[in-house]
Amino acid sequence: MTPDNGSFMTAAYVVLGVLYAGYTAWVWRKGRD
Amino acid sequence: MTTVESARAAVRTSRLLLGVALLLVAALYVRALAFTPVEAMQGPAQKIFYVHVPSAWTAFVAFVVVGACSVLYLVMRDIRLDRLAAASAEVGTVFTTGVLLSGPMWGKPIWGTWWTWDARLTSTLFLWFIFFGYLVLRGAVREPGQRARFSAVLGILGALLVPFIHMSVKLFRTLHPQPVVMNPDGPTLPGSMLATLLFGVFAFTIFYAGLVWQRYAQLTLEDAHAAAAAESER
Repeated sequence: MTPDNGSFMTAAYVVLGVLYAGYTAWVWRKGRD
Repeated sequence: MTTVESARAAVRTSRLLLGVALLLVAALYVRALAFTPVEAMQGPAQKIFYVHVPSAWTAFVAFVVVGACSVLYLVMRDIRLDRLAAASAEVGTVFTTGVLLSGPMWGKPIWGTWWTWDARLTSTLFLWFIFFGYLVLRGAVREPGQRARFSAVLGILGALLVPFIHMSVKLFRTLHPQPVVMNPDGPTLPGSMLATLLFGVFAFTIFYAGLVWQRYAQLTLEDAHAAAAAESER
């Protein structure tokens, strides 16, 4: 039976999405200065 | 075209690449979450692999670039190499942060623990410490030549950890999984999973290139403005 651990998958994708999107937004804004 | 004009053009052009990279990373999310089969033994948590491994790959590429630029800087003393090393180290540190965050979120459901002091995990944490220190060092030294020399030495020492981390799963008894692509017998993943992983590596490599190009252009502009300010004070 496949284990039900989808919440860990969701958390990882959300955390990495926030990290990378946040850093990209910071870089993007810095280019406007 | 002056240095400032070409750096401003690079800031604009690199945004196009960064935009393409964001679309590729979004496509990776869709492909990994909706169109790649769930692994039978590990369940959905295995899909963390499709963002964890590309993050690690990109971080390693970033630090190899830092090491190469640092060696070349010490030989050629060209400040552009120092800027490229600085941009690559910053982006590499962000991707290593991604590795260190996503790994435990896979480890908890699969190993039953968020963290273990295993050779691969511990050496990756040390890599993060070294390059965080590298960024702090760059912020602390004002004189550009001195900053570039000190940073180059630390950048080379940090980059030397990369092959060690890659080999750590072979050199030590470790809980971390063995390579599933770069192993002597060829890839051990089913085709659709391998395709998602390789697409992830491609998307993250473009993402890295867009970020580094953008930061390199920004650092060039900052140096040009600092030089102009120093000139006007004379």
